[in-house]
Amino acid sequence: MTETAPETDTDGSTDRIDLTDRDTATPDYDDAFDAVVVGAGLAGSTAALTMADEGLDVLLVERGRYPGAKNVFGGVLYTPTLRQLVDVDAAPLERYIAERRFGMLSDEDETAVSISPGEWHDPPHNDSYTVLRGEFDEWLAEQAVEAGATLVTRTTVTGLLREGDRVVGIETDRPDGTIRAPYVVLAEGGNSLVSEGADLKEKDRRENVAVGVKEVLEFPEREHAIEDRFRLTGDAGVSYHYFGEGAVGDAFGGGFIYTNGDTVSVGLAYRLSDAATSQPDPEGTLNAFKTHPAVAPLLRGARTVEYTAKTIPEGGADEIPELVHDGAVIVGDAAGLVLNNGLHLEGTNMAVESGYHAANAVASAAQRGRTDADALAAYREDLESSFVVENLERYEWLIERVQADRELLFEELPRAVADAGSEYFRMDRAPKDQHASTAKRELLRAVGGYTGAAKLAVRYRKLLS
Amino acid sequence: MSVEPGIPTVDNESIEDRLYTVKYEDPGDSHLDVTIPGICAEKCVTTDCVKVCPADVWREGEDGVPNIAYENCLECGSCRWACPHGNVEWEYPDTGAGVTYKNG
Ligand SMILES: Cc1cc2nc3c(=O)[nH]c(=O)nc-3n(C[C@H](O)[C@H](O)[C@H](O)COP(=O)(O)OP(=O)(O)OC[C@H]3O[C@@H](n4cnc5c(N)ncnc54)[C@H](O)[C@@H]3O)c2cc1C
Ligand code: SF4
Ligand code: SF4
Repeated sequence: MTETAPETDTDGSTDRIDLTDRDTATPDYDDAFDAVVVGAGLAGSTAALTMADEGLDVLLVERGRYPGAKNVFGGVLYTPTLRQLVDVDAAPLERYIAERRFGMLSDEDETAVSISPGEWHDPPHNDSYTVLRGEFDEWLAEQAVEAGATLVTRTTVTGLLREGDRVVGIETDRPDGTIRAPYVVLAEGGNSLVSEGADLKEKDRRENVAVGVKEVLEFPEREHAIEDRFRLTGDAGVSYHYFGEGAVGDAFGGGFIYTNGDTVSVGLAYRLSDAATSQPDPEGTLNAFKTHPAVAPLLRGARTVEYTAKTIPEGGADEIPELVHDGAVIVGDAAGLVLNNGLHLEGTNMAVESGYHAANAVASAAQRGRTDADALAAYREDLESSFVVENLERYEWLIERVQADRELLFEELPRAVADAGSEYFRMDRAPKDQHASTAKRELLRAVGGYTGAAKLAVRYRKLLS
Repeated sequence: MSVEPGIPTVDNESIEDRLYTVKYEDPGDSHLDVTIPGICAEKCVTTDCVKVCPADVWREGEDGVPNIAYENCLECGSCRWACPHGNVEWEYPDTGAGVTYKNG
């Protein structure tokens, strides 16, 4: 590919990078690369792998000691696209998701819905697995290296090289750490200092960013605590989602519990603007969530193995930046590709899908010897017709609605549903009829009577269409 | 023992113990700063940087300019967005220093 790629600078003396304490591969830096990928997260490693498969010489640059060292998610990894590219079954997976549960928490009650379709027990398990990013991201980057990519770690990209508007390489924090390459794939995650610094995207407003905190917990003195408490056998696992004031107070967001092999991940995420204005700090909110009466029994006797924090871009379809530039593309969280609306928290699948399409667009542009934005436009087009942009657009309205109705949905309704539930099932000597109508009355009152209920139904009908 | 009957106690570790679970390499210099201290001291009344930080890095300072315990930083980026005056200087610690997560 190097022969056809334009603008390849092989002048070693200025462009060579000193990476003596790299842990991976021993590349020959006299050969320039066709493409540089900034960040070995899910989007970056997928892009590197795909481009390497297409025959490109790829440099994958990661600031952590190893890929995954700086990364945090909930989390459930969604693998529909990844499965087409790598042997997912050989990856370090924790558990497949056999049950999803949605719990509405008022300050002391829970009302929950649980879904556990039998088919989730069968491969490919609805393509949903808990993983630990420290292990998984390293594995995925290794797959890219096996496909021929070169990985350097402990190297932070500090800026982009430009010739006019065109991106022609990267600057790093290594001595002489400048590398020219015809294509740069920006896969740096949501804290996208490089893309912003080069004016390829604007900094998000804090209303569009969520802060997430998470703990990985173990149960030192309780063998089988995870299997027993979450009713699991074999590799089955759960993903529990929580909303309402018992989860994140009056903030916009939610809490989660996921089961790993020998640990559980518990955490929450909510809007930064709420964290700044109304809600206690993230750590305090996490403490309250963990001690909620519906959550505490699941976590009793646990010890903290790791405490982590990270942000989520959640601006949705409206906030996707220009994805394609002369010599550069933006993928994954750096492009704001996360669906986070309460029902779904999906970014891993979007990171992989975008990395894949971007890589194919680069490979095809390289074949034509072009680096201009028009030649890379296939990336934007493919992404727009993929589930990524479709889903982000489809749920745009939901986020706006939920935001507008947040008091009702997160505070009043959870309380009313819990009250109605306890009324409906109340054990006393009054006839059930009477309980049922009191329960109905309480629910109706919360939503504003029959008219209110009808309006609410109309507002959310698209959920089912 | 449970304060409320029927609800088991969950021990929440202190922020110090929590941060202790994360491997950390000191980059030597702070990767965080405020751009114009005067804005913190005179203009800012909300200290949102302090409110959002999950790692107790930003602390109210006596002169109105926050103290920054950068070695607690989990590199989440929250303070960068939260400051309503765009007054947070935020860089990644050099060459992989800072936090290293094992699980993530
Ligand atoms: C609390 C939380 C819970 C979540 N839960 C889920 C979930 O359950 N399911 C789900 O699907 N999604 C979840 N997400 C979203 C998901 O984690 C992201 O969408 C996904 O990780 C994005 O992948 P990425 O490759 O784009 O970015 P990242 O995973 O952030 O990777 C970016 C990489 O670039 C590196 N990097 C950054 N800047 C530089 C630089 N300048 N130089 C060199 N390297 C750099 C980073 O170290 C990192 O390795 C969650 C997110 C959070 C924060
Ligand atoms: S929020 Fe911004 S301006 Fe206010 S104290 Fe913090 S850094 Fe300074
Ligand atoms: S990046 Fe996160 S952990 Fe670090 S100082 Fe800012 S808010 Fe605190």
